[in-house]
Amino acid sequence: MSLPRILIEAVLIATLGTTVGLAVNHRLLADAFAGRLAAPAPVAASPATRLPQPVLLAEVRELAAGAAVLVDARDAALYADGHLPGALSLPLGEVEAQLPGFRQKVAAEKTLVTYCNGYGCPDSFDLGLRLIREGYRDVRVYEGGLPEWRDAGLPVAKGKP
Amino acid sequence: MKRTGRISYHFCRLLLGAVFVWAGAVKALDVPAFAGQVAAYQLLPYVWNYAVAATLPYVELLAGGALLLNFRSRPAALLIAVLNALFIVVLASVLARGLNIDCGCFGPDAGTTPLQALGRDVILLALAAAVYFQHDRYHPLPAAAAEG
Repeated sequence: MSLPRILIEAVLIATLGTTVGLAVNHRLLADAFAGRLAAPAPVAASPATRLPQPVLLAEVRELAAGAAVLVDARDAALYADGHLPGALSLPLGEVEAQLPGFRQKVAAEKTLVTYCNGYGCPDSFDLGLRLIREGYRDVRVYEGGLPEWRDAGLPVAKGKP
Repeated sequence: MKRTGRISYHFCRLLLGAVFVWAGAVKALDVPAFAGQVAAYQLLPYVWNYAVAATLPYVELLAGGALLLNFRSRPAALLIAVLNALFIVVLASVLARGLNIDCGCFGPDAGTTPLQALGRDVILLALAAAVYFQHDRYHPLPAAAAEG
């Protein structure tokens, strides 16, 4: 078999495989190209090696002023009583039910800052871990949470999610 | 001597074909998960991760299948060699960038580090080269060769 012939046949095999792949997965791809699919969740060698990074109040203020998304891990009633201005509500207890809606609103490239009721509250960290597993690449935890924010005299928003 | 060579040629061909059919099948079964593993390489815009995940497994399946069936085995070996060379470059870029990822070579749960995967790909590339260059010597099959 001559080299050009081998090359052509190799390209043919690749083209055929690509065509079959496109045909089998056309619906998935249509959704992906129409932006109806979330970014695929990048898989770390072990998800536990990627942890949400803690941030301090000053950094949270800078991040919130930029493009970062604040995420309130407490339940909806506490959120309604008072939350960081602009924060989205994603209660840890309802994360399975609310994640699909959250993913539609917030792209995986966004920087997220989770918080809850201050240093004694583990929910923000747990929510951060969950969001990393969900494919969010830059997730940070504001461990001071709402109490530290409020006590610093910063504005607190009220209202339901 | 010739017989040992022929056996080792077909062994390489079957082994390489089986590896690629297996790798392709595992990934074709869960395209979104494989898309996530492609995304972890951080090389492509996100929709292209899906495009690669949707097509690459089928190319691997076909090329591996062709080797197993001894049909168009030289073009298939060439294609597999090109794919392996590409994988090696991509894995080297992962090592250079210090990314801590699963290579995704054999589906979601294989758990292979980029360095292990790179070593394996070098071996697979050698197998593909062996099939490609030895093909004309040991082809056609033994029965037909006896006639000629």
